[in-house]
Amino acid sequence: MSDDEQRGSGTPRPSFVTRVSPALHSLRPQRAGVAYALIILVVVLAIATAAKGQPAYLSSINVSNILGQAAPDAILAIFMTVVLISGNFDLSVASVAALAAALALKTIDSIGTAPAVILALAVGAMVGLINAVLVQKIGVNAFIVTLGSLTAVRGIVLIALNGESVTAHSQSLVALDSTILQVPVPVCILFGILLIVLAVLRLRQVNDGASPPLDGFFVALVLMGIGCLIVPVIAPALLTEPLPVWLMIWVTVGVSVGLRFLIAGRNLYAVGSNAEAARLSGINVGIYKMVPFVLSGAAAAGVGLIYAGRFNSVDPNALTGTELTVIAAAILGGTSLFGGAGYVAKSVLGTIVLFTLSNGFNVLNLGSNYQYVVQGAVLVAASAVYTVAARSPARRTSTRPSAEPPATTTPGESQSEASHAALGTS
Amino acid sequence: MRGVSLTLTQGLVHGLVGANGAGKSTLIKIIAGAERPTAGVLRWQGTPADWRRPADAQAAGVAVVHQQSPVAPALSVLENVYLGQKSARLWRPRDRQRDFDALCSSIGFAIDPSAPVSELSVGDRQMVSILRALAQHPSLILLDEPTASITPAERAGVLGAVRSLATSGVAVVFVSHFLNEVMQVCDVVSVLRDGTLVDELDASSMSVERMVSGIVGNRLRAVENSKPAHEFGPAVLKVRNLKSVRMAEPVTLDVKRGEIVGIAGLLGSGRTSLLKAIFGADRRTSGEVLVDDKPLAPSPAAAVKGGVAFVPEDRLGQGLIGDWEIWRNVSMADLGQLSRRFKLLNPAKERARAIQACAELGVVAASIDTPVKDLSGGNAQKVVFAKWIYKAHHVLLLDEPTAGVDVGGKADLIKLIRALAARGMGIVVVLSEFEELLSVTDRVLVLRHGNITADFASDEVSVSELTASAGGLA
Repeated sequence: MSDDEQRGSGTPRPSFVTRVSPALHSLRPQRAGVAYALIILVVVLAIATAAKGQPAYLSSINVSNILGQAAPDAILAIFMTVVLISGNFDLSVASVAALAAALALKTIDSIGTAPAVILALAVGAMVGLINAVLVQKIGVNAFIVTLGSLTAVRGIVLIALNGESVTAHSQSLVALDSTILQVPVPVCILFGILLIVLAVLRLRQVNDGASPPLDGFFVALVLMGIGCLIVPVIAPALLTEPLPVWLMIWVTVGVSVGLRFLIAGRNLYAVGSNAEAARLSGINVGIYKMVPFVLSGAAAAGVGLIYAGRFNSVDPNALTGTELTVIAAAILGGTSLFGGAGYVAKSVLGTIVLFTLSNGFNVLNLGSNYQYVVQGAVLVAASAVYTVAARSPARRTSTRPSAEPPATTTPGESQSEASHAALGTS
Repeated sequence: MRGVSLTLTQGLVHGLVGANGAGKSTLIKIIAGAERPTAGVLRWQGTPADWRRPADAQAAGVAVVHQQSPVAPALSVLENVYLGQKSARLWRPRDRQRDFDALCSSIGFAIDPSAPVSELSVGDRQMVSILRALAQHPSLILLDEPTASITPAERAGVLGAVRSLATSGVAVVFVSHFLNEVMQVCDVVSVLRDGTLVDELDASSMSVERMVSGIVGNRLRAVENSKPAHEFGPAVLKVRNLKSVRMAEPVTLDVKRGEIVGIAGLLGSGRTSLLKAIFGADRRTSGEVLVDDKPLAPSPAAAVKGGVAFVPEDRLGQGLIGDWEIWRNVSMADLGQLSRRFKLLNPAKERARAIQACAELGVVAASIDTPVKDLSGGNAQKVVFAKWIYKAHHVLLLDEPTAGVDVGGKADLIKLIRALAARGMGIVVVLSEFEELLSVTDRVLVLRHGNITADFASDEVSVSELTASAGGLA
């Protein structure tokens, strides 16, 4: 007897659960996890150093120190994120940076600064282009292609340097790393006010109903505005930083704004999310898959120049393994390895987290051997948080009353027969 | 689900019909142990069962065949059928072969057991899934849309297998959108709507009309078989000796403004390849495509620019970005029009269009910020249409626009397609359901092995003639 009786009764469940405003949503651990990780890390280190009676951890000097160390890798992480968003992978960045550094230092004394810099950047872009063509036109997996260029380009560095480090007499690259720029206090405050004004304008726009709900970008705008107002007051020394730190900030802001406000940015995310749907929507997928590689190559060369300027010398094994730090930073920032998702600012925060960790180990005198264990654990823990958060969509929704503006809820809640009239007449 | 009572009996095929989102899948999941009921009791062979995992239900004798059953393509038919089986007896090749032969003959199906599944047709894969369910010797088999993506000929095989299953004493639950199939194979039919059971009858006393009214409820029955008469304009799409890497033969065809041309063909006849070739999505090897007498460069970007739109068969795979909200999907193909100067995005304008689209096309969603992967088939398809219809378009290429869409949603889409033709677009549509194809189109081209073999006016051809023609009988 297979007599199967089935009764299921329960409270009716609405098919679409009301969502929390994305502005608040973006503050949840699975979205802003990297920021919380940084805050927790800094607090722990501050307490630990205070307990050991060491100088204040959060001194302007130490913060500038961390930012200065993180800046080159952060710039690499920005473009790594762009490549990851497009749905690809670039392992070659550290080798390319080393090659650019080696080429520039080797040639700068004979051909002059500008040609050497242009040569280095062009070679970086060229490696990126080769990666791009192999991945997009030939169809080889990006991991394999860039693993190959990682190795081959490092080989070229070894050949070019003949196994020895090279030093330039010209000091012009040194300026790249050590030029100190100071933002005047009034400029910073004015900038902060500008950001706050933009945020307020955005807030008013939401009330008109047509604009998208507030999200993480708005939160970032507000926090940056507040930061620009507070920093000159409590830590004016932070306004004086070397060029790489400012480069990091400018590139972060520039790329973030481009990805968010330009058609190209939207299309990049589309291509990374679903390349076939993007292609069939008339988006030129090839361009969006290839340009990130070229940008990444050129940016890697730029970082190589900064690195060359740091000691005005480079050895053949310089920057070995940096590509992994950079990818780790992007993952810490929540960038998807499968494309279509990620934010460059979060990857920069991810880089700062990693450098704060190593800085903390130095300050506390804990020995760098343990540092790698902790770094690895942090990386895996962060990914676990993101993965778990992505897996259970039920947790991401809430039955709390919606904070979204009324106009964004509901076109077409009525049944369809009522709604055809417009089409017939158009 | 809001409370459903259902009794399944050995040896009977129990049909389960309902619109998308009516609760069929949820019901199946509960019976299969994949979801737990929040209230009510599931009694298995007289005793209450508390299945926490699919494995519990499986152990009790419940087997499920999903819509697109996951089969391991690299393994052979035999290996797939016995995947996950723990019985030691089945590891002996001879016993396994004997068991396999018995399974095959029990449903009247023959297949080479050593063939790799990757080389099978969709229909044969479906049969492998059914065999795999059978190999567990279940007392209840749940079939979730087993015929959704297969050709009419293969369909007959699957339906025959369902009947012989019931004859052998297994209880069968058969979920399908194809009401004629339900009438054909089921003994009892239950109609679900909005999570409740609205009708249940013996198939002998159930009529298709009654099923349809049960499924759509109070919603207006909008499928009109009488086509509004309208004039055609000049030819808007001219395809001349077009051949792509995926096409067997070059194809020539014309579509006039306001005309809906159907492509009739069996699976594998090259229907999708033809549409993709026109759109430039497959590499073109010869021929040309003219829109308003202007030649089109062979790329999707050029096609979109030239006013050609393509609605692909695989909605979430090729038509939409599942994680994106409705509004970003709607504007994806038309950002040039919807943005400010200097290529700056204009979300307010994009969202206004999405709101307009949702209202005009009747997309049922909580808001335009709902990710499209949360939408039902019909609503998601409306979003795909919304991507295209607000652009200045001349030609619309539709690949199975109503696949996986419930009756009500289908009616909406058919109305929409006709409204678009009336606006002066030229439309080419591929539909496996010939009846539907004839009711939508003005003209039907029969495609066989990549060749256009016949050209019928839709009013002057019957479904059986068309089937015969597509199958090469006439």
